[in-house]
Amino acid sequence: MAASLERRTGVTAFFYWLWDGLDRSIFTAIKFSFPARFVSPFGFLGMLTFIVFVILGISGALLMFYYQPILDRAWDSVQFINDEVPFGFHIRNIHYHGSNAMVLLAVLHMYYQYFSGRYKIRNEVLWVSGVILGVVTILEAFTGYDVIFSERAELAISIAASLTTSIPIAGPTIRDAALGSGFSDFVLRFYAQHVFLLPIVMLGLMAVHFPRFLVFDVPMVMAIGGAILITGGVFPIDMGFKFVPTQPPGVTVPEWYLTGIYAFMRTQYDKFFTGLVWPLLFIISLALIPFLDRYKKFSWRDRPMITAFGITGLAQIMVTTYWGFYISPNVKIPLVERLVIDPIFFYSVMILLVPLGFGFTYMMIKLANESERKAKLHKENAPQKVATINLTEKWINWLLVALLAFQVLLNIAAYNAALTGMKNVSLFFVGLILLVFAGFFHIYRYGLAQANNPPPPPPPEPKEKPKLKESQKETEAGKLPKDSGKLEEKKELAPEIQIPKGKTDDGSDVSKSTTTGSTDVSKS
Amino acid sequence: MSEQGTQKSGGLSRRDFLKLMGAAGTGLAFAPFIPFGNYMPNPSSSSLEKVPVILPDGTQAHVDTFPVNHAEVITYPSTGDAALDAEAFRKWQFIRLPEELGGSKKEISSFRGYSMICLHLWCLWKYWPDEGRKRGECPCHGTMYDVLSGTAYVGPASVQAAPSNTLPKLNFEKDSDGFLWILPPKWGVNDNGVIGYGRFT
Repeated sequence: MAASLERRTGVTAFFYWLWDGLDRSIFTAIKFSFPARFVSPFGFLGMLTFIVFVILGISGALLMFYYQPILDRAWDSVQFINDEVPFGFHIRNIHYHGSNAMVLLAVLHMYYQYFSGRYKIRNEVLWVSGVILGVVTILEAFTGYDVIFSERAELAISIAASLTTSIPIAGPTIRDAALGSGFSDFVLRFYAQHVFLLPIVMLGLMAVHFPRFLVFDVPMVMAIGGAILITGGVFPIDMGFKFVPTQPPGVTVPEWYLTGIYAFMRTQYDKFFTGLVWPLLFIISLALIPFLDRYKKFSWRDRPMITAFGITGLAQIMVTTYWGFYISPNVKIPLVERLVIDPIFFYSVMILLVPLGFGFTYMMIKLANESERKAKLHKENAPQKVATINLTEKWINWLLVALLAFQVLLNIAAYNAALTGMKNVSLFFVGLILLVFAGFFHIYRYGLAQANNPPPPPPPEPKEKPKLKESQKETEAGKLPKDSGKLEEKKELAPEIQIPKGKTDDGSDVSKSTTTGSTDVSKS
Repeated sequence: MSEQGTQKSGGLSRRDFLKLMGAAGTGLAFAPFIPFGNYMPNPSSSSLEKVPVILPDGTQAHVDTFPVNHAEVITYPSTGDAALDAEAFRKWQFIRLPEELGGSKKEISSFRGYSMICLHLWCLWKYWPDEGRKRGECPCHGTMYDVLSGTAYVGPASVQAAPSNTLPKLNFEKDSDGFLWILPPKWGVNDNGVIGYGRFT
């Protein structure tokens, strides 16, 4: 059965030739692994962020075909995309929710690396470039939601421009040079920055930021894509109101990743300090973390001070993010009272969060150490391995067929919804299709791994785990001589990938699940 | 290595001389690009002339017909290009003061023109003629502007240091028929003010 598939036809030979030719390019310096089983996504959140960046690049390029960065046309052109252009609604929603997903994934990625101490072991440059990359990502998202030039976008632009102007001495000059002399310049230049300058900066930073070992997990990528589309289907982004300069705008708040800063600005203190200096201080202190962290260990439990600072910062971000959103719904009281946050109250809460954050961290470390001690004491009682679902070959095949049938059904439903004008429903179904494909691919790779195993020996022995590993090695070793020399090299790379992963993983509880059983693409 | 002796004698070593020349050459090669920085700020600015006060309905404002305690949005300097005239920086609140502040006089003193750009975070404020308000209010963070002087007295813009607490203004002129004209302003903090930055009173 396998022999017929492994014979190289002309096309396959061409792809092998292409794959070998890539050896001359920079891509061989990056070691990709395609996990053959489930891997915790925490380990490759950065890669997922990059995937979303690619999605944003494609959807953004499509939006550029229709968007007009002209003061009195920007909003109308977005409305045209949203309402008139076939599937324009879909592209716009993918772009919008993708931007949120990218910021969220980048933040999660940073905090995972922060708490697991990955910025150590000569990863300092990666960390600092990552912090800068994160800031540019937020600027990119910010300039993106500004170019719509709805009321909210206009307010965001005016805040950005007035904050730039508020820089002492050089501010007005910087603003004039970088953003232009008025709103028609602002829209055009924000657009230029959004579609070209900032993405180029991001690509440059990525060249520094990318580690050499990357994981491309197809099901997780598909699941993230599906989640973006489903969010777009459930919460389609509205147009907002077109900004008309003769009508003062309504009360709005910025996007969720900026309401934290907005809360500080609402305390009435000097806008230069609250809007620029405080965020800059936060960013600089984040960037300096690897040089302040002198702990020898990696786990968050062994680095109490760093963890406590992280938890405190996280708590402050959450509180300010919510506070920035909150505007008293009582329209009877004057606007200034609804909008201005009492600075004494606000800053006292910020200070109060410090002991709370430290106390919470102390408690969490105590609890974690205690549970580890208990687990060690009762080692024999603990379950020996995680529960697995073992499917027979027949059931795997039936499951794949069923999922395919479901995908066909969803395809029909999605297209039908698009035809009947139920745009967000169709977006939801397309997202569901991607999720189903994620599951489909997972079962497919599971089936492939099973197919590689020889049938289990007749007497079932209790020691199952080492047996499996051995049999896998046997099949791999058996396959090697058949493959070409180049392929042999790549097969050797696969186990190499696990070694640095294991090193960086030590201490963190996720290490158990990140045993990357890597296969490479040539495996068929 | 061999010229260590000559270095002692005080002369510039050959190596240092070459470095100096290299630095000077590099500097001179890139010096002409410094004025290229002027590419960045947009130079287009409409000529500032004495123009009639054109109300949104297209008519020229007149002391007899413009209602007391009322405000309209005027565009100055107007370009005729719809895209450029949609510019918030060109939008001004043209206000006739309420009666108790002397708005019923058929004089220039009963009119005010302030930039609509709030001095805090550049939202667009407007004049509210309702009883008990009669002030400029910014919808974003609630700054309130005194309609007589254009100075913020409540809200975030009021705590900003001068000149960033007083709105830029336009000066008007009345001709013999009672029609109103905008006098060419001087953009400077000591004159008509700088839009988005403020004015010294």
